Amino acid sequence: MGSLDSYLPIFVLFVLALAFAGLSIVASKLLAPQRPTSAKEAPYECGIVPANEPPQRFPVRFYLVAMIFVIFDIEVIFLFPWAVVYDQLGRFGLVEVIVFAAAAFFSLLYLVANGALDWGPVRRVRPVSSLQSRTTASTVRRVGTGSGEAA
Amino acid sequence: MIHAAFLIPILPLAGFAVLFSLGRRLGNPLAGWLATAMVAASFVVTVIVFVALFQQAPAHREFTQSWFTWFGAGRLRVGAGILVDPLSMTMAAFITGVSSLIHLYSIGYMKHDEQFPKFFTYLNLFVFAMLMLVLADNFVLSFFGWEGVGVCSYFLIAFWFERDEAASAGKKAMIFNRIGDAGFLVALFLIFERTGSFEYTTVFSRLGHVGTPSLVAIALLLFLGAVGKSAQIPLFPWLADAMAGPTPVSALIHAATMVTAGVYLMCRINPILHLTPDAAHVIAWVGAVTAFVGATSACAQNDIKKVLAYSTVSQLGYMFLAAGSGAYVAAIFLMLTHAFYKALLFLGSGSVIHAMDEDQDIKNMGGLARLMPITGVTFLIGWFSIAGVPPFSGFWSKGDVLQNAWAVTPALWVIGAVSALLTAYYMGREYFLVFLGERRWTEARPVADGHGKELGHGLHPHDPSWHMSLPLVVLATLAALGGFIDLPFHPNLVFLERWLDPVVGPSLLQTHFSVGQEWLFSVVDAVIAVTGVLVAASVWRASSSRPALEPRFLFMAWFVDRGEDRLVARTSTALANFTATVVESRIVDGAVNGVADLTRWSGERLRRIQSGYVRNYALGLVAGLVVLVAYVLVRVGS
Amino acid sequence: MTGSTAILASMAAHLLAAGGIAMPRIDYTAILPELILLGGMLVLVLVSSLSPRPLPTEAYATATVGIGIASLVASLVLWRDVSDHGPFTAVARAVNVDGFGVLFLVLVSCILVVAPLLAAGHLRREGVGGCEYYVLALISGSGAMFMATANDLVLIFLALEILSIPLYILAGFDHLRESSGEAAMKYFVLGAFSSAIFVYGIALTYGATGSTNLAQIAAFLARNVVTSDGVLLGGLALLLVGFAFKVAAVPFHMWTPDVYQGSPTPATGFMASMAKAGGFAALLRVFVTTFPTLRGTWQPAIWVIAVLTLVLGAVVALVQSDVKRMLAYSSINHAGFVLLGLQAATARGVAGSVFYLFTYSFLVLGSFAVVSAVGGKGDERHGLERYRGLGRRQPALAVTFAVLLLAQAGAPFTTGFFAKFYVVEAAVSAHSYALAAVAMGTAAVAAFFYLRLVFLMFSDVGRTIPTHEGAATGGTPTDTLEMPSAGGVATLVAAPVAALVEVAEPDPAIVAVSPWVAAGLVLCVATTLVFGVWPQPLVDFAHQATLII
Repeated sequence: MGSLDSYLPIFVLFVLALAFAGLSIVASKLLAPQRPTSAKEAPYECGIVPANEPPQRFPVRFYLVAMIFVIFDIEVIFLFPWAVVYDQLGRFGLVEVIVFAAAAFFSLLYLVANGALDWGPVRRVRPVSSLQSRTTASTVRRVGTGSGEAA
Repeated sequence: MIHAAFLIPILPLAGFAVLFSLGRRLGNPLAGWLATAMVAASFVVTVIVFVALFQQAPAHREFTQSWFTWFGAGRLRVGAGILVDPLSMTMAAFITGVSSLIHLYSIGYMKHDEQFPKFFTYLNLFVFAMLMLVLADNFVLSFFGWEGVGVCSYFLIAFWFERDEAASAGKKAMIFNRIGDAGFLVALFLIFERTGSFEYTTVFSRLGHVGTPSLVAIALLLFLGAVGKSAQIPLFPWLADAMAGPTPVSALIHAATMVTAGVYLMCRINPILHLTPDAAHVIAWVGAVTAFVGATSACAQNDIKKVLAYSTVSQLGYMFLAAGSGAYVAAIFLMLTHAFYKALLFLGSGSVIHAMDEDQDIKNMGGLARLMPITGVTFLIGWFSIAGVPPFSGFWSKGDVLQNAWAVTPALWVIGAVSALLTAYYMGREYFLVFLGERRWTEARPVADGHGKELGHGLHPHDPSWHMSLPLVVLATLAALGGFIDLPFHPNLVFLERWLDPVVGPSLLQTHFSVGQEWLFSVVDAVIAVTGVLVAASVWRASSSRPALEPRFLFMAWFVDRGEDRLVARTSTALANFTATVVESRIVDGAVNGVADLTRWSGERLRRIQSGYVRNYALGLVAGLVVLVAYVLVRVGS
Repeated sequence: MTGSTAILASMAAHLLAAGGIAMPRIDYTAILPELILLGGMLVLVLVSSLSPRPLPTEAYATATVGIGIASLVASLVLWRDVSDHGPFTAVARAVNVDGFGVLFLVLVSCILVVAPLLAAGHLRREGVGGCEYYVLALISGSGAMFMATANDLVLIFLALEILSIPLYILAGFDHLRESSGEAAMKYFVLGAFSSAIFVYGIALTYGATGSTNLAQIAAFLARNVVTSDGVLLGGLALLLVGFAFKVAAVPFHMWTPDVYQGSPTPATGFMASMAKAGGFAALLRVFVTTFPTLRGTWQPAIWVIAVLTLVLGAVVALVQSDVKRMLAYSSINHAGFVLLGLQAATARGVAGSVFYLFTYSFLVLGSFAVVSAVGGKGDERHGLERYRGLGRRQPALAVTFAVLLLAQAGAPFTTGFFAKFYVVEAAVSAHSYALAAVAMGTAAVAAFFYLRLVFLMFSDVGRTIPTHEGAATGGTPTDTLEMPSAGGVATLVAAPVAALVEVAEPDPAIVAVSPWVAAGLVLCVATTLVFGVWPQPLVDFAHQATLII
């Protein structure tokens, strides 16, 4: 079982994390004073009392931007191992990472050119009637307002 | 220059391709000239290659040109390539030569036909296929050519397919040939199974490892193919019916070239026949009997072309008699001279038919010699050649065959000699009825017969245009002088024999006969021929109707056709009807429909699985996974 | 798309992990075809980003064809290298350049030459132009190439994902159609599911053998007799599931009909050819060369899967009324045939499978292109009835489809015949007589639904539709192709294309066929017929498919 020894710190960390989260919840239940009022129960503690429910549908754009962020975030993470052994990799590593960065950059360029990061009112590319089935892609406005797409 | 050999078949093929795509645009007569030019060019190339081959030392007169691998599977590898040797070049030379002449003749003969370009398209394709047959360096490619000429023969027999008899004659030729081809095909399988190759040289070099029973089977199966293609007993009736095709076709395909393919095949496989004397005897006897039956049948025909058709059957019988006797040179010799004089006779009969406005009944002709001098004289030369009157070509070639037959057994010689007598007689009958005697055609022609345009004028028979006359003259010259390529009197004069020697080896002739005996044979042959001619003259010079000499059973060709029809065709039709109505519709259909219903039913059930829900699909995936893992775990346990 | 370049980075990372920081020597020529595809893809992206006004879809199609041809040339150069100097491994033994792999490089390149032609018309008609389709196709192609040449399970997994993810997107490419999105969703969910199983298989295999390198695994198995190691066999089973999903073998096929039906039709054709090529390439390599010692275990499993695949594909296709769905099941049946070669597990079997994939790729691409044309605008009229009388309305198109269908049915004088012949022959020579018999039986069943479609096309409509002589004359592809040297090469190429092209839609029954699609179809039919009559070059080529360990 010697090989499992090296996993022990991870296991300990895992247990500690669980314990911390659990303790926090339990502690706040036990220690905090609980005197609920109607104001405290409201969705927002301050400001104007909402007249109706908040809209359930967010613009898809939020998700899109979030996804783009996550993707590029992860791409950039690749740079960390490279940076750690940069000296040993030398010129080879540099060339490789430049190729990699170029690819990532082209992707970003593509997104920008296609208006994925534009913010503001959506300009309809197609007549509304053809949009009965909305998908993520259909809300992405394209540069040139459709002449590239509508044949 | 030998390397130009690939052009020999390619030129007619190119002609075919051009005519096939642009034939209609070229029209009449340009299409015909193009086709003729292509075949003539092929002839020129053949001559060049021939000469080049001749300049080699006799031991080196064999040359293989491989083009590409046609197909292969496992250890089977079939190449496309040609074998240039004396035999194949002799065949190629006379095929392209005679074809050129007949192409030229056809330009005149088919002048008024609406399908003029199509005719030449087929003719060129035929020449290509025929050349592939004789030039191929392996059995399979030869078989390709073999089937190719069969198909062209079918197209051309049924060329005037609006006529019932032409359409059914085409079908008949096809069916009879299929029977033979089946034999050929099985022989191919057997050859590959026993020797592991299809190439002629390889196969022949491996014959030592093949048992005699297999060799006999191969030889006889190939002979079955030859029997179908070359119209021997019992598969000859189709050739008589094939006369429904245009006359140039009869001359080219059904006299000079295609029907001799079987003889060529027998000569090509001579190493096999050397090892199987029993099979060779069978071939010789079938040939002899066919020669006799064909000759007798020809005596009682009234159709100018049917006489020639049965004559062809008879002459082909002689060739097989020679091949079966081991006298391959004699077989080829007769094939060559026969190609000359029979093509001549057919073309001459074509001129006559033209002149008689499509009437083919010799009883309705007579006295044409004076009106058509060229046709008459050339036909006369053809008659003397086929009859074996010295010094015309048939005398030498047939004499060669008969001597070799004697060397095997005198009985064969007797049959052959009787047939030779009959040959001289029936051709004489035809000549007298057509060209001499009184003119029976002016009054004998029914008014309703023939084409409308001729009705008012009556007939004015005359010699045809130069397109048609020139081939007649050339062929007549060849028929008269063709015998001099192989004179038996001195070892220096047997040109053909020495030329073919590397391929077929020496014939039996030299080993068995002294010069004196040869003279004796020659004299006897000449006497037989002259007797036949004289008998014909005495019987048919004056009279045109002698029913006693034209018995019905000869007119019906010994009832072979009808007998086969009754025995084979009707019974198989009955069997086919039985299987169609009872076996097929009740049993087979029932089973098939049952299986189909079951399949459809299970399909309907199985498609239910496809619910459209991803979760179900994932479940299916997992189920499969579970089964797989369970399976491997069971394996682990065991 | 950047994810795809991650392959290079991860390859490097993998090397680093394997041997400290040994300087990797990357033989770029060994992966040149892949690099051409990826580089070309980047260029397409860049051009489309920077061009001030959108370029027509045909421009991208042309560029993609050019990239495909470039990678074809590179693949052929590699092929010559391999046949001259023998196979070799490169990039720290992660990539295996052998006859087998190079053949697939060639195949993938060919697909990438034909597929853009066939897609261009459809994309224009449906108004979904742009570079995306082609970029995704190129990425997917590079994935397939890596799958074919990979010598490491990890690389195979990465390649599998690179092959698959663009296909998911392509399935949902026509975002205006709900069914397209549905197809993409189903494909993605199930594909991710199967990928997870595949990775687990890799993990188990690694656990049992101590390596992910195929050669090392094989060496390990050769040293140690481990025919009953549960972990190893479990890993084998999971790997098989992953591959079987990718090539749509029963019972892991269930996504196929829905996805094939829902995807934009040219994407279906592309998916059917590309996923099968890549999937089978890796499947054959892993099972035949890496686990030959476990043959006793996996051959029966493949046997059962092959039988199920053959039978279900043929039988269910029989009752389909939608042509796309029918072709989907028929492609399942085809997968069964390719499995015959794997089950034989001989050199002949591998060559047979490779030959089959070669011919199948062209057939399926062409078939779906015809379906796309006939489907008309909206890509939804795929009922069988739609094909009734097509032979009279558009003879050239109908003859093209008929040739492709007959070839799929295995009619002689088409490549399809030889494809079926060689795999069945391989099965027979490996003594799998029952499997061969089943295959022949299902071929007969399959012939029924192919022929039904052919008959439908050439049966009478009942009402007369004005025939367009302009489209009818000029020769159908078949009769023009059957006469060499007639009228010169120019007419030989131009005439069939011209015969197929139908620009306007004067009658709703007449469907438009763009010159691009026509050219692609002529390519498909030409390969089908030419190699159907003269298969030797292709057979010889497929027999170069020797695997090295």
